[in-house]
Amino acid sequence: MITVHAKFHSHFKELASADEDSFLIEIPTVSEFAKCICDKYGARMRAMLIDPKTDELNERGTMFVNEKGMRVSAEDILEDGETITFLVGIAGG
Amino acid sequence: MESRLLRVDLTTGELKSEVIPHSIFERWIGGSGINNWIMWEHFLTHDINCDPRGPDNIFVFGVGPLAGTGAGSGIKGRITFKSPCYNMFGDSAGGGKFPYMLRFTAFEYIAITGKSPKPVYLRICNNEVSLEDASHLWGKDTLQTHTMLREELGTYPSKVHTLSISQAGENQVGIASVVSDALRIHARCGGGAVMGSKNLKAIAVQGNGGLPIAMPDEMLAWSDDFRQKIDSNEAVYGFKRRGTLGAVEMYQHIGSHFWRNNQGNMFRGGEITSDNWVNKYHKYSEVCSSDCFIACDAKYKIDGTESEAAKKYIGESFRRPEYLTTGSAAGALDVRDWAEVAHWGKITNDYGIDNQDLSCAISFLMELKQRKLISDQDVAELFGHEQSLEWGNMDDIEACLHSIVFQKDLFGKLFGDGPYLGAIRYSELKGQNFMKYATYGKGGASFTEEMRPFPTWMNNMAVASRGADHLKGIGLIEKFQRKDLSKIYFDGRTEAADLTVPTLKGASTALIENQVALLNSYGVCLFHWMLDPSGYTPQDYYGKAYAAATGIDRTPDELMLDGARICNLEKAFNSRIGMRREHDTVCERWMWEPTEEGMYPGSVAADMFNPVLDEYYEWRGWDKESGLQTRKSLEACGLDDVAEVLAQEGSLAK
Repeated sequence: MITVHAKFHSHFKELASADEDSFLIEIPTVSEFAKCICDKYGARMRAMLIDPKTDELNERGTMFVNEKGMRVSAEDILEDGETITFLVGIAGG
Repeated sequence: MESRLLRVDLTTGELKSEVIPHSIFERWIGGSGINNWIMWEHFLTHDINCDPRGPDNIFVFGVGPLAGTGAGSGIKGRITFKSPCYNMFGDSAGGGKFPYMLRFTAFEYIAITGKSPKPVYLRICNNEVSLEDASHLWGKDTLQTHTMLREELGTYPSKVHTLSISQAGENQVGIASVVSDALRIHARCGGGAVMGSKNLKAIAVQGNGGLPIAMPDEMLAWSDDFRQKIDSNEAVYGFKRRGTLGAVEMYQHIGSHFWRNNQGNMFRGGEITSDNWVNKYHKYSEVCSSDCFIACDAKYKIDGTESEAAKKYIGESFRRPEYLTTGSAAGALDVRDWAEVAHWGKITNDYGIDNQDLSCAISFLMELKQRKLISDQDVAELFGHEQSLEWGNMDDIEACLHSIVFQKDLFGKLFGDGPYLGAIRYSELKGQNFMKYATYGKGGASFTEEMRPFPTWMNNMAVASRGADHLKGIGLIEKFQRKDLSKIYFDGRTEAADLTVPTLKGASTALIENQVALLNSYGVCLFHWMLDPSGYTPQDYYGKAYAAATGIDRTPDELMLDGARICNLEKAFNSRIGMRREHDTVCERWMWEPTEEGMYPGSVAADMFNPVLDEYYEWRGWDKESGLQTRKSLEACGLDDVAEVLAQEGSLAK
């Protein structure tokens, strides 16, 4: 088991009603981490995090980055104590 | 598909209607594509090196064939002209109701030349057109002008919708914009100065005609599918509430803001977040352009409870700031209160000024003051009186705005064409080289985001046809690190999403420029596509809507070639006025000065700039040494006639 931290911003923050949270996960992958978040926060969070067509992470209008600012993918391996930040991916105006 | 073009000669007062035949749509799609062609043809018989503020310049308004169809994709009109602030190709998009209301008259395109002997406005009421005296409107800002025209012209056959300029446009300020219905701004490139130079205060339209749809059943089916796709994406609900402000937190997290003239890349103070906006100011929403299934727009009205600073603006009402309005105030100028950021958005809109150019010009000067490179006496010389020029000080910021709008003192005269020419002029005046503090690409003012860690974006700044541009070669594959998109576009390769290598960055610019050229020519908002670039593909998904609207059914490959044709014509315009590879560059700060904060410290453009630019030319088929187009590249997209013009003028690669 490892502990992974989540930071939520903008729409993610509204869906979670929290700035951050921590999860104990057995399988140290991003997909398992996302599943834990969806289980805790429900259908709208799932709709935001998971693409229903592919069951992969939803890439549309989202940005999930590690502490180095690199986007993470479902199959990426997480380390104990790592933080993933969940952001809205949009620009311009 | 046919359309009507209204030609207006303001020198003679002649108004002439022309048919735009189907063949023009076959070649140029519509919207910005047709605008570009109208301008290109104009400058085959007029001096392309003319003064952009002179009567030989042309001002074109056009709206693409998807606008106003009810397709739900948002509406954008486009103005096109030779830019008075950058002295090259210029154009700018704007939303609101004006574009589709023009389609409800007899016209979809307007081409204005010459110069009126006195201030006028152009009135279009269904198929009746006239030039009307505008002397009573002269000296008014865009809100006053719009309000007066609405009162004067009544509500039949429809409410009045306007394009207008403020005092800035009247004074031919290079960075003056054109404002639609006093709400939505065609900000970039100085279209307001072109209208002002022609003594054209406004265009007012009223119409109740219908729109021709070639295949209505197919259009309805497409629209229904589009709505379902939008509604099934949870992220859309965030965009409805926050619009582009949702980017604030992401940019703060990775370090992509433009703080204090890009000395840093993170906001300070903690107040400027989209959460705080939503909690304190999100009180009214409205559909964006009456034809958008996302409807990200919202209005606010300040009641004074939001913050101490808000008490200065009680009763003020306007649109929620977009991200870049926020970036220009909270970033470039270090304004730390939402009410002040919102006020900045309103006054730059009312005065019809591009807040990207303006904030870059002001922050350039503030940085000189901060570094003690200029004295209090130097500042007093610029404004005619003492001015503290403190970061985030709204009194100072508004003084700079008024100086530029009303052109009454030296600062306004030096910086009315934006930060690039302003910095050159001020350096010459003081006998010192201040250029390392000016932020620009290809002479165009930066848009207020950090770009040094992002090689595609940096290339976009260098090669964009209208100078530093965030809306043509959008670097979304890279900024959002979308490996999935990179794989789709580049045969399974992922490098386009990798910030650490130059590979596929120039290719990304070329590809997305072509796609965006299509969207701009359809007359739709870019926002939906940005939300799901692989779902709402311009050449495929939107191509079906285009076919339903026009009856012009193209394959995706054919449409991508159409996009390339449109981009190549913009490039050819700039080649004719002498622009070459050496103009495809960016400012010293971006090129050489490393970022010091954010998630990508130590980034400079120079690390990857030339390989990315070389790759861009390769993907375009242009000559890498000169930056010019080759005959082969032009013929490949059906521009043999353009190649001939360039060859005759020595602007074609040998």
